[in-house]
Amino acid sequence: MDHYQRRERSSFKQLGHLARLGTYFNHYAWVLVAAIFGLLLTRILDAIVPLMMKTAIDSLADDAIEPNYTWPAIGILVIVVFRFIIFVFSRRIMRRVSIGVAYDLRKRMFSHIQYQGPTFFNRFSTGDLMSRAINDINMVRMVVSFGWVDMILFVFTISAGLYFMFDLSSELARWVIIPLPVVAVVGFIMARMMFPYYRDQQEAMAEVTNFTQENLNGIRTIKAMSQEEKEVDRFHAVSTNYVKKVYRASRFNAWIALIMPVLSSAAPAVLFLYGGALALRGEITIGTYTAFAAYMWMVIWPIRHIGMTLSMFTGAAAGTQRIFEVLDSEPEVKDGDKAALPENLRGDLTIKGLSFWHPGAARPTIENVDIEVKAGQTVAILGRVGSGKSTILRTVVRLVNTPRDTVYIDGHDVCDIPLTDLRKLATLVPQDPFLFSTTLRENLTYDLPGRDEAQLWDAAEAAGVAGSIREFPDGMETMVGERGQTLSGGQKQRSTLARGMVRQSPLLLLDDCFSAVDTETEERILSGLARLRSDKTTVLISHRVSTARHADKIYIVDNGHISESGTHDELMELGGYYSDLAAIQSDQDTDHERKTRLLHDLEDEGREVVS
Amino acid sequence: MSGQANQSPRDYSAFDVELTHQALNIRLFGRLLKWMRPYRITLGVSIALVLLGATTSVLLPVVTGRVLIDTVLLPSAASDDLPDYGLVDLTHWLADAWSVDLLVAAGVIYIVMHIGHAFLMFLHQLTLVSSALKALRDLRMDLFASLQNKPIAFYDHVAVGRVMTRVSNDVENLFALLTGFGMLMGEFVPFFLALFLMLHISIELTMVVAMTLPVAAVGTYAFRMVMSRIFRLIRDSVSSLNQYMQEDLSGIDVVQLSGREALNIDQYGERNKENRHQEFRAINYEVLYENFNNSLASMATAGIVWYGGGSVVQESISLGALVLFTHLINLMVQPVVMLGQQFNVLFRSMASGERIFQAIDWEESIHEPKEPAQLPERLAGEVEFRHVDFGYYADDLILKDVSFRIEPGEKLAIVGPTGSGKSTIIRLLMRFYDFRDDMIFLDGVDVNQINSHELHRRVGVVLQDFHIFSGTVRDNITLGNPDITDERAEWAARVVNAHRFIQQLPAGYDAELGERGKSLSQGQRQLLAFARVLAADPEILVLDEATASIDTATELVIQDALHKLTEGRTSIMIAHRLQTIRECNRILVLHHGVVHEHGTHEELLAKKGIYYTLHELQFQDAEIAKELSGETTLSDVDRVVAITEPDWDETDEESLHADPAEPEQPSPLGGEKID
Repeated sequence: MDHYQRRERSSFKQLGHLARLGTYFNHYAWVLVAAIFGLLLTRILDAIVPLMMKTAIDSLADDAIEPNYTWPAIGILVIVVFRFIIFVFSRRIMRRVSIGVAYDLRKRMFSHIQYQGPTFFNRFSTGDLMSRAINDINMVRMVVSFGWVDMILFVFTISAGLYFMFDLSSELARWVIIPLPVVAVVGFIMARMMFPYYRDQQEAMAEVTNFTQENLNGIRTIKAMSQEEKEVDRFHAVSTNYVKKVYRASRFNAWIALIMPVLSSAAPAVLFLYGGALALRGEITIGTYTAFAAYMWMVIWPIRHIGMTLSMFTGAAAGTQRIFEVLDSEPEVKDGDKAALPENLRGDLTIKGLSFWHPGAARPTIENVDIEVKAGQTVAILGRVGSGKSTILRTVVRLVNTPRDTVYIDGHDVCDIPLTDLRKLATLVPQDPFLFSTTLRENLTYDLPGRDEAQLWDAAEAAGVAGSIREFPDGMETMVGERGQTLSGGQKQRSTLARGMVRQSPLLLLDDCFSAVDTETEERILSGLARLRSDKTTVLISHRVSTARHADKIYIVDNGHISESGTHDELMELGGYYSDLAAIQSDQDTDHERKTRLLHDLEDEGREVVS
Repeated sequence: MSGQANQSPRDYSAFDVELTHQALNIRLFGRLLKWMRPYRITLGVSIALVLLGATTSVLLPVVTGRVLIDTVLLPSAASDDLPDYGLVDLTHWLADAWSVDLLVAAGVIYIVMHIGHAFLMFLHQLTLVSSALKALRDLRMDLFASLQNKPIAFYDHVAVGRVMTRVSNDVENLFALLTGFGMLMGEFVPFFLALFLMLHISIELTMVVAMTLPVAAVGTYAFRMVMSRIFRLIRDSVSSLNQYMQEDLSGIDVVQLSGREALNIDQYGERNKENRHQEFRAINYEVLYENFNNSLASMATAGIVWYGGGSVVQESISLGALVLFTHLINLMVQPVVMLGQQFNVLFRSMASGERIFQAIDWEESIHEPKEPAQLPERLAGEVEFRHVDFGYYADDLILKDVSFRIEPGEKLAIVGPTGSGKSTIIRLLMRFYDFRDDMIFLDGVDVNQINSHELHRRVGVVLQDFHIFSGTVRDNITLGNPDITDERAEWAARVVNAHRFIQQLPAGYDAELGERGKSLSQGQRQLLAFARVLAADPEILVLDEATASIDTATELVIQDALHKLTEGRTSIMIAHRLQTIRECNRILVLHHGVVHEHGTHEELLAKKGIYYTLHELQFQDAEIAKELSGETTLSDVDRVVAITEPDWDETDEESLHADPAEPEQPSPLGGEKID
């Protein structure tokens, strides 16, 4: 929505942004000059045809002149052939350049985005970036392939037409051109007004599509609740709205188609009456009249379209600006500059006095957090939704801009470790079980395609997903669909877990990776973890006491602070949040008081989260 | 009654095949006319307008050629027998009537016709678009309504995406056809008028022009054919390009965490290159065609100058006629080009029309009893399954001899692994499928004797993939039932713990819920679905518990709501959670469509069968869990693990064909993303 509004406000002031495209044109400079030259040539050839016609017609009209029509006919034929060849060559160059520029822009944009951090992705949503990569680049491409060449050609064609008109009869030309500027201005204004109509139409269509999709996906509920008729009523409203929007857009188009010819008909009217009178008085010949008419139309056509082209220009200028807005953003997480790390890192993790503000946030997400994990230990972090658990893990792998001197791996500040090394050293498995729409194998070996088969299955086994994979007809080659949607929630989560485990990093960070698996599977996974990572470090976030209880140390995060820490037994004794949680999860009906208390807390929390 | 035995299996693949017949199907147009009928007057007016408008556009060059040049400027004897459609007389008459020069009179005619043409086309456009749009909206409505009445079996077998494109794209294609048709009409009037005029002037000259037409037609058609193939490749490459980027952006965290940036840039680059390659191919043809028709017209002009020049010298035609001819060339070529273009639209919309009518004609429905049983005001709520055998295909039974009885007010939990037939029990109870009589009874009445709408009113259901309608929160609770007052809706929301979060929404109960309630969290949507079914106050409640991962806290809220919802109501629950099972009076363990165990929690525990093992595992007694996770694997443990493995999700058959539900969010009231 946002960018549409911006595009509507696009104006001539933004035309300057187009200059930034210059660098993309540089290496095509010479062919472009040749192409423009060729296109200008076709215009000149166009302009000669009416002259040929004039010669033939005058020779036929005036008995005094020897009839001369064969040579003009041959002339026209030759011109047509030449024009065709030149046109094909020049146009092909222009369009190849436009495709090339779009290609370059897309490539640069994609590469640029890969290295951006959370601030960037908070500013630009996926939809927004897609719109920039698709719509705005297309806009630029249109301008490159048609827009500015059209502009040059328009100017040239208009000048040539005017030149010939004035050459034939300056008296007549002076009167005929008077209405033309009005036509150009009105055309421009109307073209600019067109945009909202198209947008409304597209949005209404999207509404129809979305409604249908929603409806069909929920058809079982609809039938179970006997809602069919009401859905038809709702659909009626949606599709009527769409029809209305299409009608409005079509009506506006029809207005353009009405107003432009009516306005521009002033010129032929002047020609007809005044030119006819001049011909009648013998001041111009009939051949001059017809040639003049041809030149007049040669001028009117670009003038009718110049408005459309100009509005395309302003649109593309806004598009260019939007593209460079993305390309100008510097990656916020700067790569560490320490050249190489010592080999054989053990995987000690030390977090000292870590506070983190999300950019623009009023209060820190986490404040003064201290966590100490010795190599080979397993540490669990528990806490309520929104307490800051995930952020702690994200600072370790620098998915956020980690402050200096707060997070150390084996005594090295993570800010000094090159990003690629850091992320090999510490593997984070995020909470959202994201899979790419490709085979399971490619997903599981996402960081390093072609990984060893035994290693892969070992990780799958440990993550408790090997059994499921073996049952799939295609095994590891099973396509998982977009976002892995052909898998169940649990399978997805275990697959992402396997993807993390297969890397065998010294430091494994699991962000709530057991939420969608049942307790017994979780137990198996935990034992798998213990087997695979006996000498390596694991930090895991969980909601379940059953997950946490085996950890060497447990931290409870509350509202950005560490509120409790210790072993399972220590925390149980403490009688705080952890022991409450344990009571509820062990399903001891006797402990009603604790259950009620937590329910009460939850409602308060719900209020916070919703607001 | 239609038992499954005599139900011939339907060939659903017929619905999904690509219908791209390249043959003209006139019958389709006949059917389309049915929807045009209500708007025939507007449409008729529109056609009249385009004919009139087209006529004026042909007469314009006549005014220049015959009136201006031949009559006003250069009266010539040779032209007297040429048609001028009374324009010369009209000019004379006007000049006399207003006592102005012939030139002025001709000028007025010229301007009026010029502007008149624009006006006629304007009105034509408006009337055409409005009638076509309305007719297609009606068609779309009929299509949609027919889709609403297709049974669940239909949706179990066809892809939602396929059905959807019929409602959106295919109807749009017909719109393109109708408007294109109008345009074509507008082009062919000038064609025939021009042809008539040309033949009248000179048959030989007409032949010169006519020679270009087949070339233009064939050239255009061939171009379209080649391009449609390349365009498909371009479309594919663009969508692969965009899809790659979309996916990369959605999983950018994973990309960066895996250090895949460079590799993905390469892979995107490959797709980008493929796209460029196809685009380059396309322009090779496009630039050839771009100037093809213009060049043809210019060649025809050269031919006319050469051949016609001779005729003028021999005084067989006038100079005005020659000039007229050069003007008429474009009127001849243009419609032929348009026809070549419309051919593609025609074929495409033909296939679309077929798809739409196939969906409308698809006759499949659930039977309704001829004389539905009259149910009492309020059912007691007794449910009985009596020796139920059922399979979606005759040779593959999903339920085998399933019998059970639920007393009024009792709660029954059904547990069992995926594919055991749990969901099928619900579907049969809701009569989503046709089945034999005397199998399922409500208060002793065979459900086959109950009208399905009536049945759905008595049996409330919360499906696993429950649907949130677009509309307000209130609409989602009342579902348009006027008997449910605002107070009742709020009461229901309060009971199931939904009131609190609804109040937090900016507009409370009037808050608009976007697409499938995406603005709500998983837990919130679940509570809303509970409120909805509670407000409807069905005698019997059926609940397919969602397996989606919800953290302990939200689960607590939901369990509490569930408890209140089922209080004193006959309930059947497909349970995944321990607490839910504990709430139930009796438990039914289903395995491979057979009732394996049936009894109270204590009875089943004492039995030490499947349920016992399941229970022990879920309670995850620390000791047993340790034993399990260790290397020592017990044989029965393996078995249990195998049946509890949530493969292909718990959605059973549903997820196999339907569009899978959106990814679960492991976040309760809001989401941890703000973390």
